[in-house]
Amino acid sequence: MNLEPLVISVLTYGSMYAILTMSLQVQYARGGMINFGIVAYFAAGAYAYAIVTQEPPSGLDQYLFGFDAPWWAGVLAAPVAAAAFAALTGWPTLRLRGEYLALTTFAFAEVLHSFLLNERRIGNGSVGLANITQPDPPGIDTAHLYAAAAVVMMLATLLFYRRLLASPYGRAMDAIRDDELAAQTVGKDIARIRFEIFVLTAIPIGLAGALFAMITTLVAPNLFTAEVTFLVWIALILGGERTIWGAVLGTLALVTFEELVRAYPFETVRGAQVAASVEEVVTGLIFILILRWQPFDRAARQKSGTP
Amino acid sequence: MMLFLQFLVSGFVTGCFLILATIGFSLTRRVEGFLNIAHAELIGVGAFTCWGLNALLGVHVVVAAVVAIVVTAFLGLFVGRLVYDPIRRFGPAVLLITSVGVAYVIGGTLDGVIGTGIRTLDIPLATTYRIHGLRITDYQLVMVALAALSAIALAVFLNTTKVGLAVRAMADNPGLAASRGIDVATTSRITWLLASGLAGLAGVMLAVTATLSTDIAFHQILQILAVAILAGLGSLYAVIWSGLIVGICMDVSVYWIPAGYRPLIAFAVVILVLLVRPQGLAGARAS
Repeated sequence: MNLEPLVISVLTYGSMYAILTMSLQVQYARGGMINFGIVAYFAAGAYAYAIVTQEPPSGLDQYLFGFDAPWWAGVLAAPVAAAAFAALTGWPTLRLRGEYLALTTFAFAEVLHSFLLNERRIGNGSVGLANITQPDPPGIDTAHLYAAAAVVMMLATLLFYRRLLASPYGRAMDAIRDDELAAQTVGKDIARIRFEIFVLTAIPIGLAGALFAMITTLVAPNLFTAEVTFLVWIALILGGERTIWGAVLGTLALVTFEELVRAYPFETVRGAQVAASVEEVVTGLIFILILRWQPFDRAARQKSGTP
Repeated sequence: MMLFLQFLVSGFVTGCFLILATIGFSLTRRVEGFLNIAHAELIGVGAFTCWGLNALLGVHVVVAAVVAIVVTAFLGLFVGRLVYDPIRRFGPAVLLITSVGVAYVIGGTLDGVIGTGIRTLDIPLATTYRIHGLRITDYQLVMVALAALSAIALAVFLNTTKVGLAVRAMADNPGLAASRGIDVATTSRITWLLASGLAGLAGVMLAVTATLSTDIAFHQILQILAVAILAGLGSLYAVIWSGLIVGICMDVSVYWIPAGYRPLIAFAVVILVLLVRPQGLAGARAS
């Protein structure tokens, strides 16, 4: 097994998905909101980047808008689009609680997925937008560059959330999570704070979406299925929802597992199709076993001293 | 107008399938207290067990159907005991995520064993009846009849039998049920058998009325979730109404907008209803 590509892809995808996991951690563990549609904000960011940087349509293209802007314009557009989608979906749904909120956000993500699939004028339907603009400075290996970019972006998000949560605003969030009524009594506008968290946490997800579009140079509805949401949730539960480091560790561990399973040579079994299903089974088994014993969560609990 | 009525009829049949598919899911949610995403994979197991026995081994479709339902029921029970019971204390979120892992395992096994491609049962072609110009096939009528029968049987079971009452007691308050001398372990086992058996039945009906491929489960879970949310999670009787509403809305929508939007319609209905009634159609208590 070649170690270097493995490390590179774990760092790239691990850091990128860790941004999503951290946002989910803030929403869930601090804001008390169960968001099961996180992939939609990721998709919004990726599509925004693609549409802003894409060349105008030609030939068989069915999309209407391509602004041919430089890559940094796309990077600016992505978080705006993600936050806008969060505001649009958060405004009517945030008064729902628990599983209802979870399933409604899930529904919104499916609606967006179905919309992108059927409405060819936005993202070219199931074909998607290909050959997405990729900043490519000469002399630097792109794989290394994007791994570094993902790590930097992940650390920036981590710092941003740490500062946010340590601020009075973060303490207000904790108060709301722990006792809504008490927080309301001391004058905290719960609905507003929830909405702000929802929109604020969508911004790093949108940026991660732009990075994803750059790395894959393709956005298509099939890349943004509920599987991404499941992956991020599993990572969060795996790492333990109490600490932001847990979110990062959980994601890195999960992506490492997946890449290891993927890197295992399956030549002995019949064909790639069986290999793919074996990967699915093994991945599922790993989830079940880790959720059963929750090693990382236990470590975090011992460290913080909470039961 | 005729076309519209035809869509209405097929929507009603779709609704009956959704009732079969969702009722076990809602039962699990009520009694075991979590959303079992792997429920849809059990529908796949039911469908492909029936297909394997019937199309590969030449077993009569009725026998194959019964075996498929029993196999699915016991698989559900086995998974419940082996996987979910030990982690019950971690709470609904961990159970929910674990059920995604279970879905991966069952789905991956199905993929590996069955492979890609479209499958059909080895049964006679459907006979189409025409009633005032509206078409309905005999298999669709069987679907409607089985959905009605299952709903009635479940209602009778839950309301009149001792075991059924225990299931209801446990659904309402597990702690109280246990302290009143209800055997929680046995009741839980019966719930798993019932819920998974119903998933098996839904799978059999899917195999009878549609073509099968191994990715069916994911499409089912989306619709099951839509029906279950609309019904107010875990409410059993409301599943009947919301199944019909979602089924009819999905199929009738084809009259106006492209069929590709069909899955979107289910969720659009759900979102609209939740905006007006945040607890679903029948939900009364806080979640």
